[in-house]
Amino acid sequence: MIVVVTGAGSGLGRALAREIASRGHRVAALGRARIEEATEGTDVLPVRCDVADPAQVRAAFAAVRERLGPVEVLVNNAAVHPRRDVLEETAEGFMATLAVNLGGAFACAREALEDMARRGEGRIVTVGSFADLSPLPASSAYAVSKGALRTLSRAMVADLADRFPGIVLSDWMPGILATRMGVEGGLDPAVAARWGATLALWRDPSLNGTLWEMDREVLPPRGLKGRLADRLLGRGRRVARRLDG
Amino acid sequence: MDGDWDAVVVGAGMGGGMAARALAERGLRVLVLEKGRAGWRAEETHLDAGLADPVARLVRGFWPEPLLVDGAEVMAPLGCGVGGSSAFYAATLERPGVADLGGWPFPCAELRPWLERAEALLEVAGEQDPLGEPAALRPPPEPGPADRAIMARLRANGMHPYLLHAGLRRVAGCRSCLGRKCPLACKMDGRSAGIEPALATGRARLVTEAEVVRVLGEGAEAAGVEVRVGGEVVALRAPRVVLAAGALSTPRLLMASDWPPDPHGQVGRHLMLHLNETVAVWPGVEGDPSKAVGFRDLMVIGGERMGMVQALGVDAREGEILHALRGRLARRAWARGRLVWEAARLPARLAHRLLGTARLFVGLLEDLPHPDNRVLRDPARPGRIVVSYRVTEELERRRATFRRAMRQAFRGLRPVFLNREAEPNWGHPCGTTRMGDDPRVSVLDASGRVHGVRNLWVADAGAFPASLGVNPSLTIAALALRVGEAA
Repeated sequence: MIVVVTGAGSGLGRALAREIASRGHRVAALGRARIEEATEGTDVLPVRCDVADPAQVRAAFAAVRERLGPVEVLVNNAAVHPRRDVLEETAEGFMATLAVNLGGAFACAREALEDMARRGEGRIVTVGSFADLSPLPASSAYAVSKGALRTLSRAMVADLADRFPGIVLSDWMPGILATRMGVEGGLDPAVAARWGATLALWRDPSLNGTLWEMDREVLPPRGLKGRLADRLLGRGRRVARRLDG
Repeated sequence: MDGDWDAVVVGAGMGGGMAARALAERGLRVLVLEKGRAGWRAEETHLDAGLADPVARLVRGFWPEPLLVDGAEVMAPLGCGVGGSSAFYAATLERPGVADLGGWPFPCAELRPWLERAEALLEVAGEQDPLGEPAALRPPPEPGPADRAIMARLRANGMHPYLLHAGLRRVAGCRSCLGRKCPLACKMDGRSAGIEPALATGRARLVTEAEVVRVLGEGAEAAGVEVRVGGEVVALRAPRVVLAAGALSTPRLLMASDWPPDPHGQVGRHLMLHLNETVAVWPGVEGDPSKAVGFRDLMVIGGERMGMVQALGVDAREGEILHALRGRLARRAWARGRLVWEAARLPARLAHRLLGTARLFVGLLEDLPHPDNRVLRDPARPGRIVVSYRVTEELERRRATFRRAMRQAFRGLRPVFLNREAEPNWGHPCGTTRMGDDPRVSVLDASGRVHGVRNLWVADAGAFPASLGVNPSLTIAALALRVGEAA
């Protein structure tokens, strides 16, 4: 398959691009800096691109189409996480973070969907975070962007699921990683990348709209009324699925 | 859009698509104007009556708004996009009955070559109707065990079932797209068998999101149309104008134009639908749902026109039973509460448990033309479909006869009717610009041309003088090909 991974210059994105390529897929790695360095010694196609700039995203996808073909899988991973207290953040800085984390994800999804809608098939995995539910200190823009990404996925499912059941969208929270954006002593990004690669390459339509944390599916909460209705109607309880590393 | 067009076709459904194809294949330069979106060829969208948002509906190729039927809103299963309603149809392409066309200005023999041509272009497969005339059809797929059991029982009851005529090419990966858009070059509809071949000639052009607001003309001569594209209204001239906006919209378009004159006030009248009589039967054999079996023994009973009976193509699983129950509840004021609505799930589940998987059949009762059943002009809401339609006593009487006969035909299969009240099929409207020899009671002449106008034709179900008691699509295609040849 032809796969685009964004934010692939370092950390999780770099590991994801390498992992997916090692499984025999043709991968384009989008990154702002050091992208050639990050793909050295692999078959991964480096594409220099600042996802915050829609013109650069269009050019990058045009290059991927020309070099590899129509995009079949997109891993929306590019994100920045500037640590700024809300009293130190500026409106410009706030929006600049959203431009990368949210605007970039939309721009890339929009470009990928152009190919996917034409074929009626495709897979988009968006890398999310818990930051929206319990925002870290000094992370207002990041937290908002990650919450918005989850909403974006739901909105895209609402627009697409009934028309293109073969275009499958999921959100994935990889856990706390030992990357520049994560913490020391966090999870090895290579381990998380194995789960992420499995999720990105798994295209079952039943995955559409699902949320994943590390290697487990996170089922939507079911209230008391819902559980009661399930009982009455004899609907079985859903079991969360797992990803092989 | 500017250009030297030989013909302009309004609407890209089954009628407009087939007319455009015939015109373009004749060597004419054809411009097709479609109100709806172009959409994506890979879409598999189900026609969803529950979706209310007009923007979401247009994006999906559904007619955006509910109809206003005597003041009540009705969400009709109508398309609005390339392929029109046929993009969502079940590809059932049945010929009208052979006995007579019931009020048509020409004998069935005159329509036959056009029906045959439509069958060839739509690649119709099916079994010879034992009661009908010979037809050159592609072989149908083998029926499953449940369908065989139903056919055997129908035969034992004296009926003459056959495998329905369908425009499905059944290419690799075919999912028999009943009620939804087909993403493959498989289902034959106004898009795949009409618009796409027309465009392939290189002489046709399709403009979507182009809403025709008026027909232009003077005296006995149509000049073109006025069309709204991108918020701008422009006049488009062409020596031939073919209207194929559908039986609910072509008359609205004519009424909204200041021309041609309608001295006898006939435009929009004689609206006919089919009355769906839906019955669940239990063949006692499980199998996948299929739209395979039909029979025509009940077309005429005691000299009165009835209709054909055919598989609906869905099984009465819980969802369908629930839908039927809620349909009944919706007509009762006390039952409109959320609680009752949700509570309907329980009896639906119970019925499904007790009865198992039923097959649904529908009888398409022919509707007769009444001048007061009509599409109305509503200048306040020119984009809205406003109609008046009453179920007459005569119709209720024929319904009772038809239902008794259906019950008899299915005896031994435990038939249970799912509708009690008359259920007009708003997906099968016709007759609103009917053909006839007498301009006092018709709009079109026998060739499908507007009385008294040299170059204005209608190529949709509005032309039907009678509603036939079979699915309208094949007849629409045949009439459209005929118009495409004559225009």
